[in-house]
Amino acid sequence: MTHTVAAETRTGRPVTFGILRRLPEHLAIWVPLLLSAGHLVSFALWTVWISFTPSTLVPVSGWVGLRNYTAVMATRNWQIAFDNLLLFGCGFVLLSLLTGLLLAVLLDQRIRGENVLRSIFLYPIALSFVVTGTVWSWLLNPGLGIQKLVNDIGWTSFRFDWLIDRDMAIWTIVIAAVWQSSGFAMALFLAGLRSVDADLIKAAQIDGAGPIRMYRRVILPTLWPITVTVVVIQLQFAITTFDLVRALTGGGPGLATQLPALVVYDLMFQRGLLARGAAAAVLMLLILLAVLLPYAGWRYLQRRQAAHA
Amino acid sequence: MNNISRRSMLAGAAGLFVAPHLTRAQAAKPRLTVISQWSAGSDGAAITALGKKFEEKGGTWQHSPVPGFTTEMMNKLRAQIMAGDPPACSQLKGPEIAAWSKIAPTVDLDALVAAAGYEQVVAPDLARLHKPAGKWISLPLQIYSTNMLFLSKRAMDKAKADKIPVTWADFNTLAQKMKEGGVAHPIANGGTRPDDGQKFEAALAGISPVAYRAAIMTLDESALKGPEVKAAFAQVRKIADWMDPNTAAQHYSTNLQRFVAGDMGMMIQGGWAQGVLLNAGFKLDDFIIAPGPTDNTKPVFLLNADAFIFWQRKEPDLQAGQTLMAQLVMDPAIQTMYSQITGSIPVRSDVDLSGAGWSDGQRQTAAALKEAVANNQAVLSVAHNMAQENGMTAAMIDVITEYVKNKAITPDQAVVRLSDAVEGAR
Repeated sequence: MTHTVAAETRTGRPVTFGILRRLPEHLAIWVPLLLSAGHLVSFALWTVWISFTPSTLVPVSGWVGLRNYTAVMATRNWQIAFDNLLLFGCGFVLLSLLTGLLLAVLLDQRIRGENVLRSIFLYPIALSFVVTGTVWSWLLNPGLGIQKLVNDIGWTSFRFDWLIDRDMAIWTIVIAAVWQSSGFAMALFLAGLRSVDADLIKAAQIDGAGPIRMYRRVILPTLWPITVTVVVIQLQFAITTFDLVRALTGGGPGLATQLPALVVYDLMFQRGLLARGAAAAVLMLLILLAVLLPYAGWRYLQRRQAAHA
Repeated sequence: MNNISRRSMLAGAAGLFVAPHLTRAQAAKPRLTVISQWSAGSDGAAITALGKKFEEKGGTWQHSPVPGFTTEMMNKLRAQIMAGDPPACSQLKGPEIAAWSKIAPTVDLDALVAAAGYEQVVAPDLARLHKPAGKWISLPLQIYSTNMLFLSKRAMDKAKADKIPVTWADFNTLAQKMKEGGVAHPIANGGTRPDDGQKFEAALAGISPVAYRAAIMTLDESALKGPEVKAAFAQVRKIADWMDPNTAAQHYSTNLQRFVAGDMGMMIQGGWAQGVLLNAGFKLDDFIIAPGPTDNTKPVFLLNADAFIFWQRKEPDLQAGQTLMAQLVMDPAIQTMYSQITGSIPVRSDVDLSGAGWSDGQRQTAAALKEAVANNQAVLSVAHNMAQENGMTAAMIDVITEYVKNKAITPDQAVVRLSDAVEGAR
């Protein structure tokens, strides 16, 4: 029955009718998409424009060339923020990846109470970063949290004062961020593990592969597209991190945990230097593009390979 | 007679013609749209009380508080100005008044200020900030000193000391005594940027108000690299060594309990800390308030003043509201009410603080201000954005806060960094 109707439309009815019939769908998809894309793109372009103007408290027109960019890149705050971004980005992505994968593999053992455990591991992602940051700022404070607890128990020489150590403070942000988002990586990996072809696993079992070998040689290699996705999502999160640092260290001690997003906010809204802040924001966008463009290219190649195969 | 009556008839007719407008203008019920960051605690209570007075005078009070940092209030102000709908009146202070007055038209308050005789009773440095282009466009409301010295009574007992330190040498001796007497951390402090900035400005202004004026307020290059700035950094290092390193990024008020208990000894804070201490349930006899240390023994006053700026509006009711608000802000009775709630001191130097409702700390602060103004030792606070615009202030505080947290930086290096930062932000 449906078959005949479809055949009729394909042969007899004019094309416009088809478009009209699907109008609600088109409206539902394209209007919000165009609006949000237009919104995003227009504001991004506006920010780029502002970054070339001499704007301070409010936007003004004018042209100062790359002066804002050179000024921002020459500041200590930006240099510290950029170095921190490298440390934080690598540390956070690698650790959350490994933790997420480990959790996923452990959960994949068809254990009892899997649902409860999964919820527990996923729960931190439901928290606001401000909450995470505040709680960890207490836990990591040597006078209040973990160090004090261990000292009070009796191990008095125990030191865990990264929060107030300028060289280690950036790692406290890694700890809190990994705690918050390794559940997310776990969920993706778990979905990947569950979608591994059962025949593949059976074949490996018949060939006599043990569990470790099976994971290493058979299951994990099928996960690498998911790994790339997780890395890209976590990296773009790392680059835009703001609220977590704000609540956890406030960018301190001193300037030790500055990150690019903090510098942008500080320049724009605290120092009243809109154009400099916009330049810093555009630099952030370029860093993001450096991550996302290769990813897009990789996806494109993958799709082409799939089409050829 | 005939002529006169004709004239009066004409006048009467004209009056009839004009009268409805006149009565409308006179009857325009004063209305005021205000934005400020004061939403809670003693600040919130004070501005609410001010609003009540405004309503008692027949006005409509429309206050939209933007809680949080001053910058958040400024973001709302910026958005409203850019939308062409500025509030009739907003909180703003220090050199930001000059900067912001360039982006939107403000109200000329000269006539109202003259009528209230306000100019004669405001400290000259302060008055200058509120009339950036020669005309009054904003009105200071209350004053705090950012370098008051708070002494914990219990810590003083532990140190067996009863003399209030006057110079930095006295201060250092007392801190040492406290340390020896079992006070864990002779200096109580938070870890925020303004906290660190306050330690530095208190040190430099206390060592030499002249050098402070030259280096920080006028950014004189040789003063910035001068021996006083280096000595101030050296003093800040001593202070930092006596602080609890674990405060991380905490607010100073987190440690008030330990301060009162004598676990921490001294606090260099703004006068507002008195209101915060009392609000937290502590008593006036838990602590002593004195002017910050000063090497020439005459009080140095680091000024921080909250103010209202008035933005031009066309609506007659808002204009009437601005007039009423300006009169209220300059009124000694209102300033008394306001300062008694917040713990600040009135801007008007002619308000009598001997009555009940004022604390000894406030009386001392007011006396210190009078003496400091007389000796030209009242200077503008940099940590609280009174001495420089925000961009310059932030560049300086960057150096100071790093110095406080990084003990590997020597005073010599800090001096170089500070003058470089100023050069970069110019």
